[in-house]
Amino acid sequence: MKIGQVKHIDGIRTNFVVTDTEYTSSAIMQQVHAHPEIVYSNVKSIVEQQQYLFENLWNKAIPADHKISEIEEGVELEKTHVIQDPRSILKLFIDMIKSAQQEVFLILPTVNAFLREHRIGIIQLLIQSANERSVNVRILTPTNDITDNILKNTMLSSQKEKRKRQGFDFNFDLRSINISSEEIAVSTVTIVVVDKKESLVFEKTDDTKEDFIEAVGSATYSNSKPTVMSYISIFKSLWKQVDLYEQLKVHDKMQKEFINIASHEMKTPTQAIVGYADLMQRHPEKREHMIQGMSRNAVRLQRLTNDILDVTRIDSNTLNLHKEQFNLDNLIADAIQDHAGHIEKENLDIKLLYNFKKNVNDSLPIYGDRDRITQVIYNLLDNAIKFTKEKGEVISVSAERKKNGSKQEEEVIISIKDTGEGINPEIQPRLFSKFATRSFSGTGLGLYISKSIVEAHGGRMWAENNPEGKGATFTLTLPLRSKEGQIQSSVIKRMTGNQSG
Amino acid sequence: MVKEKKKKILVVDDEPDNTSIFSIGLKDGGFEVDAFTDPLLALSKFKSGNKEYDLLILDIKMPDINGFELFEKIQEIDDKVKACFLTAFGEGYTEEFGRRFPSSLNVSFIRKPIRVDDLVKKVNEIMVNSL
Repeated sequence: MKIGQVKHIDGIRTNFVVTDTEYTSSAIMQQVHAHPEIVYSNVKSIVEQQQYLFENLWNKAIPADHKISEIEEGVELEKTHVIQDPRSILKLFIDMIKSAQQEVFLILPTVNAFLREHRIGIIQLLIQSANERSVNVRILTPTNDITDNILKNTMLSSQKEKRKRQGFDFNFDLRSINISSEEIAVSTVTIVVVDKKESLVFEKTDDTKEDFIEAVGSATYSNSKPTVMSYISIFKSLWKQVDLYEQLKVHDKMQKEFINIASHEMKTPTQAIVGYADLMQRHPEKREHMIQGMSRNAVRLQRLTNDILDVTRIDSNTLNLHKEQFNLDNLIADAIQDHAGHIEKENLDIKLLYNFKKNVNDSLPIYGDRDRITQVIYNLLDNAIKFTKEKGEVISVSAERKKNGSKQEEEVIISIKDTGEGINPEIQPRLFSKFATRSFSGTGLGLYISKSIVEAHGGRMWAENNPEGKGATFTLTLPLRSKEGQIQSSVIKRMTGNQSG
Repeated sequence: MVKEKKKKILVVDDEPDNTSIFSIGLKDGGFEVDAFTDPLLALSKFKSGNKEYDLLILDIKMPDINGFELFEKIQEIDDKVKACFLTAFGEGYTEEFGRRFPSSLNVSFIRKPIRVDDLVKKVNEIMVNSL
């Protein structure tokens, strides 16, 4: 006899045979022995009905050899099946969350879905799992004020509970998908993946329903590795996408702010140039004064343009350093000489002192970008002079070689100390951030640029008001390199986070 | 013929070049002008005066108190006084303005940079409208 195919199915309570024209069945099964009473029919409609029933069972069954190897190897093979009954879906959903040991990934398609899951206690259950069993819970969901509130309250009460019992360790993370549904394909199904082992995906048939049972359609459960892994990968790419989207939004906002402030700053000197130009013809007697005003503002505009360009380069990681070996001592001495000349020319009553605490034949060898370091020293000296207005005040520059405590490398510490008006307490916290200034001629970008340059050379920079009460001291460090290095370019890394002085 | 009394304007801008230019320009245009670079000084001048100003021209971004805050304080003394804000910002300020002065009719805006003649023209328009 030739056997076509054998399949396995659980739960059949009776034997039956169906052919093209006939149907036969034992009425009652008794162990393996068929009961003498049988049901027979050759009525067409009954035979067809039984054929339909067989087809359904056949489709649901698994190949016999799969079942045999499952029995032989003592493992349950992976399965994927469809569940139509909403109550069974709900029970399975809750059971899966409760059984989670390591992690739960959940994607919710709509705010309403979130609210439904909250009503049936899923959100609370997830927060509990994170809190009490340290399950790593990750949720992707659209959010609004209502969901934010629910989450805040649920998390707060749960965290309070947790604090009472033991140390604080929370593994709950939720990201908001507030991107339009066209951009994300997952907008109609809820996907839950537990412990990288099983997944449950269910459709919503009517999102307006508040009740889970009424809203849910059919579900697919799977513990088949390829299926579960596919859902994990969908989850992870969405998670990352949301992350990138958030970063992009922050970056976009910062850029808009920068452009807004930069344009404001550029309009200010432009207004002065335009205004003086308009008035000059009508007021020849004030011509000299107005030309000076135009020239002063033109220089300010030029400086601002350069600074904005530098900041743009720093922020986009495209400010190249052209490093070479040079002696910092000479650079500082030149800068001081320049500024002393300026002080004399402007008839300012300021003393400018330089003190290099050196041993015999000591020098300050640096491997860096000479022009950029010059820019830093000039920026600090210009600032010191600008904020030191009273007569007889002193600006003292000192340089000192020191071992850097942790690395045992040598560095130079340069301090520029003035007896001027000091750092305004309002500005102090954001001294080294962009557009922090109270000065008319400043761009508010100089210290941000200087600190970026110093840090790109492996140094540090900070500022403080002098403890004795008058003026401020700006200090920077740069690593000393005595070896001849190859001339090379490196890129200034973008400053992030805490740049405050 | 009775000579018409000159209209009086208070200019407040923390940029000395701007106060200087606006003062000269507006005086040329036939106005009497008091100008301040320090908004707090301007406020105390206003307090000591007798509601003599027909118009305030105020910069928005200033140290200590900004143009909107200054106007609020001045309104406590003279709620009829008109103000014209000078702004070098793009669009951002309008939201804050709407929030602070939800029903203010005696307020207008001038965008910097502005040519001196255009400023005088704009101020004349405001003065005519307020008659």
